[in-house]
Amino acid sequence: MMSPSSDIDARIPRPSPMQSFGRVAAILGVVAAIAWGWHGTSFDPARFVAGLPRLREFVGRMLPPDADVASTVLRSTVETLQIALFGTLLSAIASVVLGVAAARTLAPAWLAIPLKWMLSALRAIPMLLLALLFVSTVGLGPFPGVLAVAVHSTGMLGKFYAEAFDGARSGPLEALDSAGASWLQRVRFGVLPQVAPVLARDTLFRFELNLRESLALGLVGAGGIGLYIQMYTRAFQYDKVATLTIVVLLMVVLVEQASVAVRQRLR
Amino acid sequence: MSRGSTDCSNNSHVPAAAESTEVSPHALQLTGVRARYGDGPWVVDVEQLTVNRGERVAIIGPSGSGKTSLLRLINGYVPAVEGQLQILGRTPRDQGRRRSARTAVAFIFQEFHLVDRASVFDNVLWGRLGHVHPLSSLLGRFPLADKRAAMEAIAEVDLTPQATQRADTLSGGQKQRVGVARALAQEPQILLADEPVSNLDPALADDILELLVRSAERRNATLLLTLHQPELARRHADRIVGMREGHVVHDGRSGDLTDADLKRIYGREGIPQLEPRESSARRA
Repeated sequence: MMSPSSDIDARIPRPSPMQSFGRVAAILGVVAAIAWGWHGTSFDPARFVAGLPRLREFVGRMLPPDADVASTVLRSTVETLQIALFGTLLSAIASVVLGVAAARTLAPAWLAIPLKWMLSALRAIPMLLLALLFVSTVGLGPFPGVLAVAVHSTGMLGKFYAEAFDGARSGPLEALDSAGASWLQRVRFGVLPQVAPVLARDTLFRFELNLRESLALGLVGAGGIGLYIQMYTRAFQYDKVATLTIVVLLMVVLVEQASVAVRQRLR
Repeated sequence: MSRGSTDCSNNSHVPAAAESTEVSPHALQLTGVRARYGDGPWVVDVEQLTVNRGERVAIIGPSGSGKTSLLRLINGYVPAVEGQLQILGRTPRDQGRRRSARTAVAFIFQEFHLVDRASVFDNVLWGRLGHVHPLSSLLGRFPLADKRAAMEAIAEVDLTPQATQRADTLSGGQKQRVGVARALAQEPQILLADEPVSNLDPALADDILELLVRSAERRNATLLLTLHQPELARRHADRIVGMREGHVVHDGRSGDLTDADLKRIYGREGIPQLEPRESSARRA
């Protein structure tokens, strides 16, 4: 027999006072954050609209792009690609080792917890600052750039890998243990095959980030196209900057598309 | 032996077959063994249980009766707090020999525990990890003899056509066959199977149990399996052990199991009734 509709109405779940309070507090928090940022950064849309003619003039000075510098720009762009690629690979290798040691399911807490702190610290240091440090250590050129990319990326990839290792199903590990596998064999055959797509996706994503961040490394003498960005901008050679922008844009878009295509196929 | 003994107070209690100097007729001997998780209640409290080599023993009992914990205790996942546990006649003490020792006892899991992204062949080959050199295996190099053993195990469970297929593309029954093949590839002397058919339909369940029994017989291996269906236990095992609240409350030949025994094991009405002996024999 059906209950009267008033009975049903009474049983409809309603948010508790705590839930209602939480929602209101969340909305107020977002509004407060916007107001705080607006005031603190002198945010002024009217000023932006007023400046639009100057933007048009700036873009006008970039046209037509100076094709004479295309080969120079292309060469340094390839160097940037090499810095990002090699730095990411070095970081991936280090992150597998550090990730295993920082995974709570694979390593003891006395090792995993301090390692996670260390990885956080690495992430917190900006790549440009690391590049400055390594330029002062090993001199100018792409080498300090590679070191900066590798060290900075390890902070992020090490954490992501550790989380992936922790997320691996424990059942297959138990089965391998039962078969007499050693700890290393369990990691190699039980954990890595399970998380390989996650590691590959994270690494490709980090490579995309590294490629974009490496564009600025040349600003501090750590190789790549950044040097030319700085040089042409300071010399007001905006037609050359336009060529540079087009080449960089093409490279970033192509690499990102390839990366996205590969990541989608990983399962 | 008194209950205060700590002979099996660590997980390293699975002996290497190679360690034995004389062959014990017993595959397993538990005397006054008690085990629990943390500070919880005793999940296994067995006064005496002996399983001979080559025996096929089914353990039945209600959920939470300690069936799975008993198997996990034998496999070293649950440490015995008290009592003495002997496996293949030995109570091991040497932690350093643990890895090779584990190969003597294989475990078949209810949830299969396969590496989903790996092929059937790889999953089964990894059952050989206790036999191969650790360093060369890490590089993915396995001796031909181990690859051959894996393929033979795959053939034994009728999965040769699926050998290169990924495990996550298989049906439930096929996955359990891979689990069985992985255990067989280990060349164990004792096969432990924890509710190996509870995820399968009745026809598949019979197939898998027949396969397990046949494979164990071929190797003269001891088979110890937990089951929820008393009728399956009676059809496929030589002997049935009933557990309740961690204790062994029934131990007898499978043919002698009666509805009264089941009532004692399960402790309530409404439990599955046994089929008449003739129809059970016909199905077997």
